Amino acid sequence: MNQLYLLATLAGTRIAVETAEVEAVVKLTDITSVPRMGAHIAGLSALRSRVLTIIDAAALIRGNATPTADKRLAIIADISGHSYGLMVDAVHDICQLPDGELPLRGQLDKAWTPYVRGLVEHQGQPYLLVSLAGFIDNTALPQAA
Amino acid sequence: MDELLQEFISETQETLEALAGEVVAWEADPSDRDRLDAIFRFFHTVKGSCGFLNLPRFERLSHAAEDVLSEIRAGTRTADHATVSAVLAIMDRIAELAEAVAIGAALPQENDEYLIGALIADAGAPAAEKAEEAAASVAVARPSGTQAAPRTIRLPLALIDQLMNGVSDMVLARNELSRKLRERSGDPELESAFERLSTCVADMRDAISKTRMQRVDRLFTAIPRMVRDLGRDLGKRIDLQLEGGDVEMDREMVEMVVDPLTHIVRNSIDHGIETPDKRRALGKPEVGQLCLQARQSGNQIVIEVSDDGKGIDTTHLVEKAIDAGRLTKDAVIRMSEAEKLDLIFQPGLTTADKVTAISGRGVGMDVVRANVERIGGAITLQNRPGRGLTITLRVPLTLTIIPGLIVRAGGLHFAIPRSAVVEILHDNNETLQIAEVGGAKIATIRSVRHSMIDLEHVLGMEKPEQAGPRAIMVVRSASGVPFAMGVSAVDNHEELVIRPASPLIMAAGVYAGMTLPDNGKPMLLLDAGGLASAAGLPNIIDDPAARRSSEDQEREQGVEMVSALRFEELTGERRLLKLSLIERVEDIDAHLFGRSGGHAFVRLDGRLVPVVNGQHDFAAEKVAALRLRDGSREACYPVAAVLDIVDMPAVPDMVAMHGILSGVAVVEGQHLEVINPFALFAALPDGPLREKGSGRCLLADGDDGWTREILAPLLRQAGHEVVLGLPIDAPIEPDDVLLFSNGDTAQAVDMLGCRVVQLRATPRPTGPQDESIYRYDQDSLMAAIAGVRR
Repeated sequence: MNQLYLLATLAGTRIAVETAEVEAVVKLTDITSVPRMGAHIAGLSALRSRVLTIIDAAALIRGNATPTADKRLAIIADISGHSYGLMVDAVHDICQLPDGELPLRGQLDKAWTPYVRGLVEHQGQPYLLVSLAGFIDNTALPQAA
Repeated sequence: MDELLQEFISETQETLEALAGEVVAWEADPSDRDRLDAIFRFFHTVKGSCGFLNLPRFERLSHAAEDVLSEIRAGTRTADHATVSAVLAIMDRIAELAEAVAIGAALPQENDEYLIGALIADAGAPAAEKAEEAAASVAVARPSGTQAAPRTIRLPLALIDQLMNGVSDMVLARNELSRKLRERSGDPELESAFERLSTCVADMRDAISKTRMQRVDRLFTAIPRMVRDLGRDLGKRIDLQLEGGDVEMDREMVEMVVDPLTHIVRNSIDHGIETPDKRRALGKPEVGQLCLQARQSGNQIVIEVSDDGKGIDTTHLVEKAIDAGRLTKDAVIRMSEAEKLDLIFQPGLTTADKVTAISGRGVGMDVVRANVERIGGAITLQNRPGRGLTITLRVPLTLTIIPGLIVRAGGLHFAIPRSAVVEILHDNNETLQIAEVGGAKIATIRSVRHSMIDLEHVLGMEKPEQAGPRAIMVVRSASGVPFAMGVSAVDNHEELVIRPASPLIMAAGVYAGMTLPDNGKPMLLLDAGGLASAAGLPNIIDDPAARRSSEDQEREQGVEMVSALRFEELTGERRLLKLSLIERVEDIDAHLFGRSGGHAFVRLDGRLVPVVNGQHDFAAEKVAALRLRDGSREACYPVAAVLDIVDMPAVPDMVAMHGILSGVAVVEGQHLEVINPFALFAALPDGPLREKGSGRCLLADGDDGWTREILAPLLRQAGHEVVLGLPIDAPIEPDDVLLFSNGDTAQAVDMLGCRVVQLRATPRPTGPQDESIYRYDQDSLMAAIAGVRR
C-alpha cells in the first residue's frame, strides 16, 4: 500500500483524503463572499493568479456557516477544470497507511453519508476517508433548489 | 506515432486547408501561374515525403495529380472544369488518408484507381462538354491577392496558456511590490528601476495576449471550396468575394464562429441565390454575388454575408408560422415587418418548401442565433425582398478580455460588461423619477419607464445606508428589455480578464464569470439577463403589441396617451380598457346569457357571442355589457357599470402581465388595472362559437318525463336546438348529437351514423366499460355534447 493520505480535521471529525486529489494546503487570507449562494459556498479567494471557489464543508455537515475568524486552512484541489478550496479545521499529517481502505462500520451520521467512501486507520484511530470531488458534486443538488 | 510521420501529416493537413481556396481561384483563372505552381508544389512535396515514409497510396495519388499538373504547366493540357474536379477529388482523398493516419485508424478501403482514372481520362473528353460544365464555375476575388505567408512555428496550446498564467502571476507580483514600495520611503533610484520592470511586464502581457489572436482568413479558408461545390450541385453560378481576411480575432472565437458562418453561407446559396435561368428572367445578372466581409469595429468583429438573391419572403414565413401553430392570425396583424422577419429565428421554421440535402430542415437559424448569442454576439438581418439579404454577425473580439464597469453594492465589488450598460445616472438627477407601488419599483428616465431593481435586493444583501446619491444604471442584456438597476456606486472602468467561474457559482444564474483585478481580490461578473430573470422582471418583449407601443413611446420621447373606458367590474374592481376596441355599450337581457361547453356566451341578433369574463348568471334583469371587436371576432364583456372615458398612458405605468391584465395605470390619482386586450381575445374559444343549427341534440327518449321536463329545457337554455324523439321526417346529420338513457336504445343507435351521449340515472358508473354520464353532472354533459360535436 503505497497510497499516501492527508489526515485532517473537518467539522470536528477526523478525515483522510487521498493525496492524489490534493494539490496543496494553504492558509486563506482574504475571502470575497458570493451573494445569492448557500452557506456552504464561503466565497472566492485568490491563490496567485488563480481564483479558488472556497467550500465551507463544515457548513454542509453542521448546516450553519463557519464563523469568519475560523476560516483559515483550505485543501486546494482541481476538480473538473476548476480550482476549489475545501476549508478544514486543522491538518495533521501526510502518511502511508499500511492497512489501506477499510469498509465502513458502525452507524454513520446522516450528514456525512454522501461524502464518505470508507474508513482508514492511523495509530489506532479511525479516520473517515472522504473524496473532495464528492463535496463538489453533491453540493450541486441542494444548490439548484 | 513516428515523429516524422506526425509532422508530415499535420503539414499536409494544413497545406490542404490553405490550398482548397487556391484551387478554386485557379480554376477561375487558369492562366494564374503562381497558383498553379503552389498546387503543383504541394503534390510534389507529398510525393517526395511519402516515398520516404513508405505511404504508397499517398504516393500514387500525388504522382498522378502531379503528372496532370505538369502537363498543364507545359501547356499541353488546359485546366478545364473536369480536371479541376478530379484534382480536388484527389486532394480530398489525401485529406481522408491523412486523417486516418493521424488518428491511427485503418485506411479507408476505397479505390484510388477510379480517381486517378478520372484524372487521366479527362484529357480526352469532348471539348463541348467541358465548356458547358465550366459555366458553373465560381469566381473568387481576394482584393489583396496571394500574400506571402508570415513565418510561423507550431506551439502546443497548453504552453501558451501556461505563458498567460505566468504573465498574470507576474502582474500580480508587480502590483504587490508596488504597494510595498509605496509604503516605504521613496528612493528615486529604486523607483525608476521598478518603473522599468513595470513597463516590461505590461508589454509582455500585451504580447502574450496577441498569441491568442488569429487572422480571420482561417475562417474563410473553407468557404471558396464550399461555395464551388454547392454551386455545382445546385447548378448556380456564384461570384464569391472575400474581404478583410487580415482582421485578427481570438482563436477560440474563430472556432465558435465557423459553424454559424458556414450555415449562413449554405443558406445564402441554397435559398438566396436563384438559378441562372430564373435570374435571367428576373433581369438580374446570371452570376449571383456572394460577399463575405470582416472588419473590426471597436471591440467587436463584424462579419457580413450579403447576397443578391431573393431575400426572405416574410409573407411566406408568416404563413408557415401560422400553419405550424406558432402564431394566430390576430397576432400577425399587430406584427411589424421586422418582427415577421424575426420569425426566421424560430426553431423548426424554414422558408424552404422542400427539404434538400443542403438546408431547409428547419434546424438552422435558431441554432445559429443561439450559438452567436452564447459568445456574446448578435445577429441582424437586412432583408431586401427580391434583391438580396445581408446577415451581419457581431461578435466580441475576444472571449476573455472585455471592458467592464466595477460597481459597488452591499459593500462588495462586482463587474458588469460595459456593453450591457446603456447609461448611468445618479438618483438625484432631475430627469429621473423613481416610483414605488406594491413593492414594484419603476424608474422613469426622460419619460421612458423601466422596471427597476436594486442589486442588493436581487442578491439578497443588506442595503447599507449611504450619504451620497446612489447610482442608477440602465442595463440591457443581449436579448431582453432594458431595466434600471440601483447600486451604491459605479467605481471604475477597466479592461477585465474574464475566466469561467466554477459550476457551483454559475448555478446561481446571475453571474457570467469571474475576474481577478490588479488588487488581487476576486470579483464576480454579473449577467444582466440572469439578474432580470432572477428578479422576475416582466419580459414585455414577448408581446409584440406591448413592445411596439413601448417603441412608439420611445420614438416620441413622451408619454403617449390613448382613450380608455373606465368601468366597474361585476366583482367590484375598477379597470380600464382601450376605447378603440369597444364597438358599443349596451344593456342586454340577463336571460340571453348562457353557458356551453365550458364557455360563457350571449345570444345577440341570432348569433352566439362569447363572453370574455365567463359571467353568465346575473341577479339583475338587464346587464350593462361592452361589445368588443378585434377586427374579425367579437366578444361581449358584461360589467357592473360603465363610468367614463379617460386618457391613459399607452403603456401602463407598471407592467405586470397577469391573466387578462397588462398592468396598472394611474389616472387622476387613482390606481386602475388595465385590461390586456391581447389576452382577452386570446382566451376566447377558437373559431366562431357553434351556432344553433350546426348540430341538433336529438333526445331519443322523447316520451320520458325527465328528458322532456328537465333535460330539454337545460339544453335549450344552453343554446342547443333540441329535437324530442328521433326525427322521422328529416334525416340525421353527422354533426347531430344523440342523447339517450335507455340501455336498449344503445344497440339501435349504433347504426344511425351520428355521435351519441349515453346518460345514466346513478351517480356511479356500472363498470369500467361504462362510458355513460350521470345525468345531473351538468359540466360533463355539456363537455360531452361539445366534445362529440368537434
